[in-house]
Amino acid sequence: MVLLPTTVVGSYSVPEWLERLKTEYYQRRISAQHLTEINEVAIKAAVKDQELAGIDIVSDGELRRDNDVDYFLARIPGVHIPQRAKADYFDYYDAEVTRPLPELAGDKEGTDASTSLGLAADFRFTRQLTAKPVKFSFTGPFSLSRRIRDEAYAEPGELVRALARRLNAEARELAAAGADLLQIDEPFLAGYPEQVDLAVEAVNIVTEDVPVSWALHVCYGNRYARPSFEGHYDFLFPAVKAARVDQIVLEFARKGLDDLRLIKQYDWDRWLGLGVIDVKNPEVEAPELVASRIRRALEYVPADRLMINPDCGLRHLAPDVARRKLRAMVAGAAQVRAELGETTR
Amino acid sequence: MDVDLRPVRKLRESAAARAAVGPILEAVCASPADLASLRVVCDWIQYKQNFREPVVGRPVGDTDTEIAFDLRRCGDLDPEHLAARVKQALSGPGDQPGVALEPWVTGRDSCIWRFNQLYWQALSGWEQATGREYEQSLPGGESDARNAEAARELILELFRIWDELAARRALPEELYILELGVGNGSQARTWLDEFLQLDRRHGREYYHRLRYLMGDYSPHVLDRARQAVAHHSERVSALVVEATRPSVTLGFLAGKAFLVYISNVYDNLPTDELASIHGRTYQVETQAYLAEDDADRIARQLSCRRDELVTLIDRLLRIGPELLSEASPGNCADPGQAVAFWQATWEALRLRERYVPLEGLDSYQITPTLTGEILRPLIEGDGDVRMHVSNGALGSFTGTLPLLHPYGRVQCHDLFLTSSQQYRTGFYGPGKYDGSVVNWVNGPLLQLVASRRGFGVEYTPFRQRPGSNITTLTAQARD
Repeated sequence: MVLLPTTVVGSYSVPEWLERLKTEYYQRRISAQHLTEINEVAIKAAVKDQELAGIDIVSDGELRRDNDVDYFLARIPGVHIPQRAKADYFDYYDAEVTRPLPELAGDKEGTDASTSLGLAADFRFTRQLTAKPVKFSFTGPFSLSRRIRDEAYAEPGELVRALARRLNAEARELAAAGADLLQIDEPFLAGYPEQVDLAVEAVNIVTEDVPVSWALHVCYGNRYARPSFEGHYDFLFPAVKAARVDQIVLEFARKGLDDLRLIKQYDWDRWLGLGVIDVKNPEVEAPELVASRIRRALEYVPADRLMINPDCGLRHLAPDVARRKLRAMVAGAAQVRAELGETTR
Repeated sequence: MDVDLRPVRKLRESAAARAAVGPILEAVCASPADLASLRVVCDWIQYKQNFREPVVGRPVGDTDTEIAFDLRRCGDLDPEHLAARVKQALSGPGDQPGVALEPWVTGRDSCIWRFNQLYWQALSGWEQATGREYEQSLPGGESDARNAEAARELILELFRIWDELAARRALPEELYILELGVGNGSQARTWLDEFLQLDRRHGREYYHRLRYLMGDYSPHVLDRARQAVAHHSERVSALVVEATRPSVTLGFLAGKAFLVYISNVYDNLPTDELASIHGRTYQVETQAYLAEDDADRIARQLSCRRDELVTLIDRLLRIGPELLSEASPGNCADPGQAVAFWQATWEALRLRERYVPLEGLDSYQITPTLTGEILRPLIEGDGDVRMHVSNGALGSFTGTLPLLHPYGRVQCHDLFLTSSQQYRTGFYGPGKYDGSVVNWVNGPLLQLVASRRGFGVEYTPFRQRPGSNITTLTAQARD
């Protein structure tokens, strides 16, 4: 792989027409089959956009998903969603668990199709579209739990762990389907910094015995292109060092690079996914700005452990803005790569 | 023939309203109009000062006609007079005789908004002529923005949020509060006085981190407000802000404001109206005019011809009454006469209306960043309706939301509709408040737009004055 590989965090620009069609589905005006076909056309275009921009590790743009939570909750057995129609596709469901989630039977070598969340099939579709490495992301158990009214567990951490076990089974299926880079997204964690130990414990349940490269993405939220929380990544350290992941993917472009000090301070010796593109601002960064952010990060992280990505998903950016931002990111990374005098390692 | 009797409550409560209906239908049916393509609309226009004749005709596209009645005034017309009005309205709908002050335009582009702007710019001259301050012309006779108890409640809630953020070391160094439309500064003064007292008791010294921003489009108003809060001057900044585009001036505040306070601003911002009639969407176009008699009377006062009047009015709107008396001394010898001319014109000002078909909601631009597509759930699929688009209010509101800190909120007191159904049962403007324009704000539309941006909007009755028409909007991030 090239030095300073470029990738995306997960979601890709959702054009207004696609939003409208998705909403049509959630108001039961088009069929699930039609929506699937529409989503697949959009995924092909998203992958092509990333390839054309020169992204090294691409994603499916999470374009099948209504939002970062419900796509999973709606598929997890035992999560009850009383009202599945929505006024807008992006709205969150009101989800609840009234009894403990059913555990998967048998050993952990795989799940049968009836209990699968279908993520491996999603991955397979993307895998056959491109020769590039594919990153597949899904929302982590801690964040999923924050959108569930829990009437089943005496101790809230138990719901998080149960979700983690379910996601572990899904990760095994993904690995069996050929996925080699999986990413757990925890967009709500920054709002509950005191629960970081629980979140890390759950991450380790998800990753247990799944032989892939694991990334953990923690941001300050990107719902409707706004941060849901404010603060600093101090809360993540040193707890995150106990996470059995190979990479943490953090946002720096919007918030500034001050928190890079934590990487050195806590001796983070694994990969860092460096957010160099502000996904909440439609202004397209110049490649020089991207390059300067990477150079600054190199003061804290060696080049062979630095991956270059936007701060978060691109879903709220207009398609053209998203494409231009990715191109700027690729160009900025190339500048630094050239300065380092090395294109491959 | 469709007959749309909107003021259902009045029809229950008012014998006069009921009595007006029969003669109206008699007059319409006696007219030679093609009743099959005629819509009859009856409103109760609560504003004594308004832009409507009691009976008006409006073309609907190229083929149909709407005839609209103000029940409040039609009850006073004798049948003969009413029949004559109906005949006139139907003889050339949308073309009542008079002196047009502008071509046909959309509602938000009408010159009534230039009058509105002039009112706020030359307020002192108007107040001098009427002998009363503008607050006295508000319903209830004063601004709604002076309530210490309400301020205390908001401040204590802020303290709670700030304490929590401080505990997680997530509290910003500077704590921003924004007030848009500052009036005479009394709201700011009340709020800051209360804040200081409560902060002393709370003991966290938030006052020293406070940045209270007062935004208004009028430097004159800002100066007056600044004097009212002179004892908090180190904490207060005053900024000239275009209400419909707050982000132009306040972009630096993005994601930082813990509270945006707005009182009685939105109902005074330009708006279009759209209508759905028989499944087709129309834009309401308007044309400001003076009835011939009124135009002649005003022209006589100015010693000018009727055809010179339009030029003089345009000059008044461009340079204001003070300079008009210098520029046209032959017509207005002094500023007082110019103000009298302004007031007489304003009082006589009427609007003609017509419905122009709209080619797709997405081709209609509500604000530079928002298309009419958002209106679809409100305007389509539920029968005929005519509603305000509240373009100015939406521009202001959507420009304000990004300023909020994740834990921030907008609190806005104004005239809001809280259900689209209300458009089917009442009249919500435009009306005249003193020298300004008033339209109720399309609350469901603001709610919908906010929802698409991840904000929840709640409407609650205005607690400080029970029974008033004012409603409180609270918007904050949801999920």
